Amino acid sequence: MKKLVLPLFVPFFLIGCSNEQTIQVTDLAADEEKRIEIEDAIRNKEEIYSANAIFVNDELLVSIQVDPWLGFKEQKVEKRLQKEIEEKYPDLNVLVSSDYKMYWESQKLLDEEDEKKMADEVKKLKDLAKEET
Amino acid sequence: MDPQEYQQLEQQMTPPTPYLKNVLKAFFVGGIICTIGQAITYLYVIFFNFTEQTAGNATVATMVFIAMILTGLGLYRKLGQFAGAGSAVPVTGFGNAVISAAIEGRTEGFVLGVGSNMFKLAGSVILFGVASAFFVALIKLILVSVGVLEW
Repeated sequence: MKKLVLPLFVPFFLIGCSNEQTIQVTDLAADEEKRIEIEDAIRNKEEIYSANAIFVNDELLVSIQVDPWLGFKEQKVEKRLQKEIEEKYPDLNVLVSSDYKMYWESQKLLDEEDEKKMADEVKKLKDLAKEET
Repeated sequence: MDPQEYQQLEQQMTPPTPYLKNVLKAFFVGGIICTIGQAITYLYVIFFNFTEQTAGNATVATMVFIAMILTGLGLYRKLGQFAGAGSAVPVTGFGNAVISAAIEGRTEGFVLGVGSNMFKLAGSVILFGVASAFFVALIKLILVSVGVLEW
């Protein structure tokens, strides 16, 4: 048992050390310029370690994961990014969420090919985000 | 023997309380209970239509339910003896308080025994929880209407 502890926990520590941000943006129905700009906007936030952005028609769902040590700032980061993207693209329907549900579902959506299904899913997620109880 | 002498004698006789050991036990068991709670939250988030925000209610209900079953089986008592506050402070302690009081009152009948004893301990938790929630909400309402905070 004791011998197992080290090999089990070392990977966790090593993962914790990696400083790289993983940002993924879907390219369905969105031009290159927008994608890069959104990606840059996310990359500028140092608190975010991982993010997914889903583009569908005029809907944009950005799910972010904030560094656990900065958990108290999560809401603020979320609001700031939301405002920033909204100002840049007033015609887009943006939702920035730091919720793990959004992150998990959008991770699955990244590989989705069918545009209609993706739009439905994004709409469902946005409705889900509004629920409070 | 005067009272002072007796007190001295008593202090010599009682074994020292292992504070550090108790604190460590409570810390780790409480931490493990909270880790289980976090795992249940992720279970609800990943497999059901809950967000991190809404999964809280379901998680609390599940944790209380698990603690109630463990209390009924007599296992939570052992955990409580081992960990002390570590098992009483998380919300599982609430489930334990409800069910152990209900079991205690079983001999007095179903309505007057179980029914009236069930919330003997947990009733104060509910009362002060609701009351303090009301006052916190009141303070927040005042702060929001003054303009210090946002909802």
